[in-house]
This record gives sequence, structure tokens and C-alpha cells, in this order.
Amino acid sequence: MIEVKPDIEFKKQLKQVSKSSLNECMQCGTCSVVCSLAPDDRPFPRKEMIWAGWGMKDKLIGNADIWLCHQCGDCTTYCPRGVNPSDVFSAVREISYQHYAKPKFLSKILNNPKWLPVALLIPIIIISAILYTAGTLQIPEGPVNYSKFFPHAWLNSSFSSLWFLTIGLGIVGLRNFWNDMKKQNPDLKPTGSFIKNLLSIRKEIILHSNFSSCSAQKTRKIAHLLVFYGFIMLLFVTAFAIYAAVTHNYPLGFLNPFKILGNVAAMMLIVGLGIMIANRILNKKDFGNSTYSDWLFLISLFLLTISGVIVEAARFLNWGLAYHLYFFHLICVWFIIIYLPYTKFGHLMFRVVAMVYAASVGRRLK
Amino acid sequence: MDKIQKPVLIIGGGMSGVTTAVEIAEVGKEVILIEKIPYLGGNVIKFNNYFPKLCPPTCGLEINFKRIKQNSRIKYYTSTEVIEVSGEKGDFKVKLKTTPQFIKNNCTACGKCAEVCPVERPNDFNYGFTKTKAAYLPHEMAFPYKFFIDDEFCKKESCNKCVEACEYNAIDLSAKEEITELEVSSVVVATGWKNYDASKIDNLNYAANNVITNVEFERYIASNGVGGDKLLRPSDNTEPKKIAFVQCAGSRDENHLPYCSAVCCTASLKHAINIQELYPKAEIKIFYIDMRVAGRNEDFLNKAKANKNIELVKGKVGKITETENNNLILEAEDILSGKKIKYEAEMAVLATGIVPSGLNINLNTDKDHFFTDLQPEGIIPVACSRKPMDVSTSVKDATAAALKAIQIN
Repeated sequence: MIEVKPDIEFKKQLKQVSKSSLNECMQCGTCSVVCSLAPDDRPFPRKEMIWAGWGMKDKLIGNADIWLCHQCGDCTTYCPRGVNPSDVFSAVREISYQHYAKPKFLSKILNNPKWLPVALLIPIIIISAILYTAGTLQIPEGPVNYSKFFPHAWLNSSFSSLWFLTIGLGIVGLRNFWNDMKKQNPDLKPTGSFIKNLLSIRKEIILHSNFSSCSAQKTRKIAHLLVFYGFIMLLFVTAFAIYAAVTHNYPLGFLNPFKILGNVAAMMLIVGLGIMIANRILNKKDFGNSTYSDWLFLISLFLLTISGVIVEAARFLNWGLAYHLYFFHLICVWFIIIYLPYTKFGHLMFRVVAMVYAASVGRRLK
Repeated sequence: MDKIQKPVLIIGGGMSGVTTAVEIAEVGKEVILIEKIPYLGGNVIKFNNYFPKLCPPTCGLEINFKRIKQNSRIKYYTSTEVIEVSGEKGDFKVKLKTTPQFIKNNCTACGKCAEVCPVERPNDFNYGFTKTKAAYLPHEMAFPYKFFIDDEFCKKESCNKCVEACEYNAIDLSAKEEITELEVSSVVVATGWKNYDASKIDNLNYAANNVITNVEFERYIASNGVGGDKLLRPSDNTEPKKIAFVQCAGSRDENHLPYCSAVCCTASLKHAINIQELYPKAEIKIFYIDMRVAGRNEDFLNKAKANKNIELVKGKVGKITETENNNLILEAEDILSGKKIKYEAEMAVLATGIVPSGLNINLNTDKDHFFTDLQPEGIIPVACSRKPMDVSTSVKDATAAALKAIQIN
């Protein structure tokens, strides 16, 4: 016996986000066969499609398979009914960020365009308040020096602590997610520590091997690799910059190896994000339905990168608008780093946790 | 009232066209029946047998051919197409094009021409899986029963061997295309169907040697077909012991045919039962989304279910790959167990759906290219030109079309 607990509100939301008719699925299972990742035992996405049609929220949220899908779109390409399983999966992921978000209102304002002004006002007000407290809320005189505008100690301490706060809240959500995954499969007992299982999937993460089997979208792997490594390199450069600001002379010179690394990383991000954005605009059939959350994340990361490069140039060229651009850049940083668990960037945490869970119960992708 | 009665034109000499023709002629009206290929019988003549009663086509069609022969009110033209229709009900002007057959009607089908003919052609009666000479008899119960020469392959006067061999002077290699103009009272469109082009379904690997379609399978299982009394698979002419049927191959699929053809499920059940009669130990799997068998056809489903060697698997085949020994791996998700199945078959039959053959005359069609019932008055689409249907329904539809046609003067 299967206990069916339909959640009509959830189904409405799923329909709206995925733009899929859901119930036109006739359960033929073509999707599960053409999926190059689905395991032979209980493959996806056919079973999820009937749960979606029934509005079975508790079967879909907290389902590891939803996150094992890498959104290649083969199922959608071959679906005889046009119900776009890959878009349904991506919609369930989007709803999952909201479901596990703490506090919920942050997720709400970040997944609805009508709340965008509020999402923007929060960093504007908080950054201005910090600058006011630091006594630097004005455009400094003389050659461009961002630390005169936002002293390093204030910047690093305030952004880091806010980041630790939201990531901490994100981890609480992940714990609930982990428990839900366990609850869904009471007969599967996770074995091994989190770290040990994480290490067992390092190849998939480092090489993006799960992307390789996607036949519908060949450029995706390259684009994601560029963005993935570009972002990691920038994080590394940022960490060094914080260290340098404390111990060395800062800012770094133009030819400093870390500066060069940062600029290379920025280029990787621009190219990778450019491919992603172009694919979503030009190749709708294969890349599926793009939601507001997809665009918010892609565009804010793109603006973060572009504004970072411009802010750097503004410093060298002593532009008058440098501090305004810097302020804008900080808001982009906020959207990406501090809002991380509430936006699509959260996939970084959820996907890895789901992959670790799958590894811990021995559920291997093809 | 005393106006000269114009004949009814019937486009298409398949089961429904032939039925309409005899039904009209037998109530006293003149009929002109045209068929674009050299012989009558359409798709049905190629079948092994057809449901519900599993009649061989030599039964139902032969009776009708006899009715045509005996009825002077029916004139039939083979190798003939309609190229133009104008006018209105009761007074249509039609232009017909007859392509040369190169062998006249005094042919006795003695076969001397084929004996001397040096050229071979793919045998369209067996969907190209066998060959005939360029001078050929389409099949052993062809109507009209005479030889034809395939224009595409014949070397004509440069060879001339058949002309020399023919004792009846029946061969004229210089025959030309003919255009005929006629006046008719009404036009019955019995253009019928062809099966969906399976090569468009890229995941089902129709290119593999041992993947064939359901209509091709009819020629494989028929005793007058490719393997004679045996079922031989294409790649190595061995008798397959494991055969899989792939239902909805391109059907109910918005990437191919969005509709259900309503006959393929029963057809595959029929095929499975045909195989079982020939090879009781053969293992048969039918992969389906839903088994759609209505009315008395459900007997086939019950018969198949009762046979332990026929297994019905709920799950659509999403992928077919060919192995080194030309076997086929069919992949489906078994919906009832939630596990992916990889089944190795020696032969796979794609249950492709019905596509209307269409006509080069501008008529109203629905979104799936079937003719709608809303046509200029006096133009009457019938049977599979209107929507997919089985033989017995087509025959009833033909009678209905005859009833409509005879009322138009």
C-alpha cells in the first residue's frame, strides 16, 4: 500500500515553477531509459513524475534522486507527452531551497521578482549602516583606495560573520534535508562518515563526470567547469587577500601572482557564465524552462564578476565613479555569498549532500 | 431525372476502395476504381492474416476481386493516379495519369519474360527484403493477374530479351504515360494509410538488421512471405527464439505521431499468437504503455495472457542497441516493479502507427493530416484516409461511403 498525501498547494507551485502540465505524463518510462544517470534499480524520473502529478510533496522534497539529476534534458527531449521531467526536477529543487530555508522570508524575497527591491534594500541598508558606524559613509578624496571607503577590518569582519551566519542557517536546513532523505528510505542505512563518503565522490565533483553523459547539451560541462573552478579560484584569491590585508601591503600589485590568478578566474567565470546565459536564451528547446531564480543567480554572479573587473580597473585608472561601482560590487557579493542558501547557489550544498547520502547508502549512478 | 448517370470515382484500390466499388456497382451505378500501383489490395493484401477472425487476405479480398470481375459496371485502372479534380457534386471533371506497365492485358502470366530478364529489383510486396526480376508478377494472387515491368530498373530496348521471349506479343517497351479525362458524379477518397517511418525514431534503432516494423513483420510471418513457412530474421536467416514487440513506436508521442492508431496493440497480440502457432517454444515479450484492445479483440489479449511464453511488460522501450551477434538489447522501465529491464531479443518488431497516405488534391485535413468529413459536397473520404481503423471497421466505413456516393447525381 502506498500512502498518498496530496498537497494541492505544492502541486500548484510545482506546476507554476516548472511550466509542466504534470498530469499529461502517461507513465511510459521513456524518461527513465534515456536518462544516462539513472540507476537500474528504481530509476528516475518516471516515479517522480507520478508523485508530482499526485502532488506528493513529502516524496519529492527530501528525495535524493531529485539532486542526482544533472539537468541534461535528455528526458525532456524524448518525452512523448511534452511534460518536461527535467524542468519538473529543477522546479522541485527550487522549491526545496525554499522548504529548507531559515529564515523563510529570505527565501521568499529571493524567489519572487516582486520582492527584488526588498532583496536589494537589505544589503544597501546594512552596508550603509556599517559604513556609517565606521565613519566612512562618504566618497573619499585623493587617488582611489577602497579601504578608505570600507576599511578592511570592517569589511572582512562584517561580511565574514554575516556569511558564517547564513551558511550556519543553511547547514541547519541541510541537516533537515539529510534526515528527510533517511526517513524516505527507512530500510537503507547510511554507512561510513560524511567525510569518507564525500571523498568517495571526489572524482564526480572534481571532473564533473556526471555531466559527460549528457547528450542533449554538450557545452554544459565546459561552462560549468569554467564557472566552478573560476569561482573556487576567486574564493582562494579572496582568502589570500584577507590574509594579505592583515599581514602585508594591500592592495596587491597588478603583476602579483594572486592578482593574475584572480583575473584569469574572472575570465573563466565570464566565459562560462556567457555560455550558460547564451544557451538559456538561444537554445530553449534543449535547455528547458528558465525560472526567475535561475536568472537571478546567473545574472548576479555575472554582474559580480564584471563589476569586480571594472572596480579593479577603476582603481588603476583612478575613475571618479570607482566608489559607486565598488558599492554595487559589494551588493553583488552579498547576493552571491550571503544569500547563498536561499538562491539557486544553494545547489552547491544540497547537491553535494544528496550525492554524499547516495554514496552512503550505495546508490550509484550509471 | 433522365440525365445520363455519371460514374463514381474511387481513388485507391485497397480494402475499402474495393469494397466501396463493389457495393456501389451492385446497386446499379457505374464505378471507376483507380489504384496508383499495378495491383489491387492495398496494405491488406500484404498481411499474413487480419483480425478479428484471422482471415488471410486471400479470403476477404479474393471474394471482392471476383465481384469486380463479374460486374461490368466497375472499370478499374491500375498504375493510375488522379492529378486534378475540378467542378462540383454531380459534375466533377477529373484528370488521371496512368504510368506505363509495359505489359499489355493479354499477358497470360506464363513467366517467360521474368525467366530471361537479366535485372533484379527490390520486391516492394515484401518491403524490399526480397528481390524479383524487373519483369515480375507482384505476388501469386495479384489482381490483375499479369506481369509488369519496373520502369526504374528495366533496360528497355537496349536489352529487349523479354520482348523476344514473349509468345503473346504482350510486351511494349515503348509504352508511354497516358492522361485520361473523365466526368464523374462523386469522388470517394480511399487513399488509405502507410505505417509511420520508423527511421525517424532514433532511439529505437530501426537501422539495426533485426529491428523491423509491424507491417514488415506481416511479410516475415506470412507463408507466402520472406521466409516461406519459417520465420527467419533478416541478419542471418536463422529462426529467432526470442522476439520482442515494441508498442507505441512513435505513437502517442508528440515528437512523432501524437495519436493512438488503435490497431497496433491487437496487431502485436495477433503476431505473438502467429509466432506461437509456428514456434510454441518461442519466447515473446510485448512492451507496452497500455494495451488498447477494444471489443471482441480482447479475446487476443486473454489468449496472449494465458500463454506462458508470451509476457506483457508494462513499460515503453526507450532504447534499442544492437549486439555483436545482431541481437538486440531493449531497455525499458518495468513500471510495475520500478526496475530497468535490459532484454536481449533476437528480433524486435516496432509497432508503428498509421499515417494517412494523403493525396495530391487539396482537401481539408485535421492536424494529423487525416481527411476530415468536411469536404466539398460529393467528395467522400473513407476508412483510413479519415482516421486509423482496422479492416472490419474500414469495410463498414466503405459501405457507408457507398451509401453516400450513390445519392449524388
